[in-house]
Amino acid sequence: MKRCKGLITVLLLGAFLMSIVGCAGKTTTKQEPPAQAPKAPVADSKVAENEKILMDQLQPLPKLQQGEKIGILVITLANPYWVSLKDSYERAAQELGVTVEVMAAPTENDAKSQLETLQAMVAKDYKGLIVSPIEPFNLVPGVLAANKKGIKVVNLGPGINVDALTQAGAHLDGRITVNFEEQGEKAAQYIVEKIGKEGGKVAIIQGIPGAGQSEGRTTGAKRVFESIPRIELISIQPANWDRNTAYNITTNLLQSNPDIKGIFCCNDVMALAATDALTAAGKRDGRYVFGVDFTNEAKEAIQAGKLDGSIAYSMDAYAKAGIILALKTIQGMDVPKQVNSPLAVVTKENIKEYETWH
Amino acid sequence: MQQIKRWLWSWNEQFSQILLGLILIIMAVLLHHASPFFMTWDNWRNILDQSALLVIVSLGMTFVICTSGIDLSVGAIAALSGVCMALAMHAGLSVELSICLGLAAGAAVGVFNGLLIAKLNLSPFIVTLAAMSVTRGIALILTKGIPIYGFPVNFTWWGSGHIGSLNPPILMAVLLGLLAALVLNRTKLGYYTLALGGNEEALRRSGVAHKTYKTIVYTISGLTAAVGGLVITARLNTAEPLAGWMLELDAIAAVVLGGTDMKGGRGSITGTIMACLLLGMLRNGLTILNIPSYYQQLTIGLIILAAIIISELRLRNAPGHGTITKED
Repeated sequence: MKRCKGLITVLLLGAFLMSIVGCAGKTTTKQEPPAQAPKAPVADSKVAENEKILMDQLQPLPKLQQGEKIGILVITLANPYWVSLKDSYERAAQELGVTVEVMAAPTENDAKSQLETLQAMVAKDYKGLIVSPIEPFNLVPGVLAANKKGIKVVNLGPGINVDALTQAGAHLDGRITVNFEEQGEKAAQYIVEKIGKEGGKVAIIQGIPGAGQSEGRTTGAKRVFESIPRIELISIQPANWDRNTAYNITTNLLQSNPDIKGIFCCNDVMALAATDALTAAGKRDGRYVFGVDFTNEAKEAIQAGKLDGSIAYSMDAYAKAGIILALKTIQGMDVPKQVNSPLAVVTKENIKEYETWH
Repeated sequence: MQQIKRWLWSWNEQFSQILLGLILIIMAVLLHHASPFFMTWDNWRNILDQSALLVIVSLGMTFVICTSGIDLSVGAIAALSGVCMALAMHAGLSVELSICLGLAAGAAVGVFNGLLIAKLNLSPFIVTLAAMSVTRGIALILTKGIPIYGFPVNFTWWGSGHIGSLNPPILMAVLLGLLAALVLNRTKLGYYTLALGGNEEALRRSGVAHKTYKTIVYTISGLTAAVGGLVITARLNTAEPLAGWMLELDAIAAVVLGGTDMKGGRGSITGTIMACLLLGMLRNGLTILNIPSYYQQLTIGLIILAAIIISELRLRNAPGHGTITKED
């Protein structure tokens, strides 16, 4: 009887494992070329404008509709930013006639898993990879493996450290990014303007210290805040992109500095937490909170007047440019050393123009 | 008849290993059928490379769990020892010396855990929980929260170098695995480790310095965690204060999955290694099949749950444990 129990457990576990593999078969077929035409982007002057600036940097365009298979590694699908980018990649892939598969690390700070995911992707049959690293160094061995196998690697967003790549004997085939420092600068300028002549205390809430986006945005914002005498930068705190941590930090900041006037957060998730914390403390009025990324949640919060603003760049244009850049490298065309995505400052005042932005 | 019975019990003794072996083979066959990229040497080297860290850390954890203890501080120790190595190298010390310093830091936390648990008779769970927080805190203070980047090539070799077609972490895992199996099964230390979990009182009454042996066990765990720290730091070319986040849970899961009894007195190094391979293969396979990371977390959680159920059923089957009486 006892042994029987053991046997049942074995069978259950076996069945469970098989069901996992079973599921896997289904999910892989999801990315087939579309039967119907891709959802055309809403004719929106702002998006079109943004996309044009990007595409001008990528002329001449590669041959499209060739069905190349491209692997994409983002940071984590536990963050809405990367989830939206994944959707944008998939829309762009349909439009450009390529197949993409988007993978990610389980959490925002799991640099080791992200490398392992990349290594597993290199073992597959991709023609090109588009990668966004958690840290400047963590993906270097994976890029080297891709180089050796002749898979083209494009770096989108946060940068992979070029010195470390060279030292390891690896290289990138292309690079597309937004200027992170400029994002921080633009947000900080808006906060400073709003605070006005009397000045006051401000703080910066960072993502993971050392992460490219976080450091860049912090540097930019810090530069602006420190250049203006009437503004006092009281604290730069890392919240690791985490909503709960950012909420607690804001609460603590309010304890020590109840007269704080502005908070710049290195992404929208943290900015939303900061406004929630201010509201909960009954101290939202007269204070300015700015985020970066312009996620859907941020858009709604700005429309509702909860968040003061966010720094946007068209995610669709960005993802599309990333894939085009990868295609150019795959087809052996020359590519510019670095492609930069243009930025937009979305605020309570101009949110109407950005309602259909994606 | 007697012989058959004995054979059956001996089979029961190996139950976990046989079961794990079977699951490994079944998984490999299924994954091979599901994806042509799975059964390639490059991919298998990935799996081995990625499992090496978990194997190394789980070896020490196996010793601790054999004494019916637990060590929640291993992830934090890995981070701290990596940070110590990085700071030493950036301060201009040689690579070898820096590695030794990092390993010493890990062992020191292990000794600290062991002394508190053995001499003051405190609960391992609480002591190592506190040590986890203290160690992580020290790592954050030392780095001011900012990862330290960029090390000499002869340091990164320890993580991403090549020995033939294998990587140093794989060879370290193999060597340490052999050593751990030897120590646990063939030496006095191993015997006492199991006895500490089986019946500490008997050990004390027979005049064995049981507190010293307990301290040694936690030191081993600290040391293997520090070797894990070396592997992570060298591989990523970055010493992060947040490295090895939740590594302790992965290690505990691997040890339990490998058939070591959470209640102590029974443990298997082979089982631990196989369990690490299973977890590594699973993560790799799920990635190759493009299964989103959400499902990976879910799957691994369910596997751990299954392992605990098996471990519990096995315990009830084992001779000597008998049925649980009401007095318990």
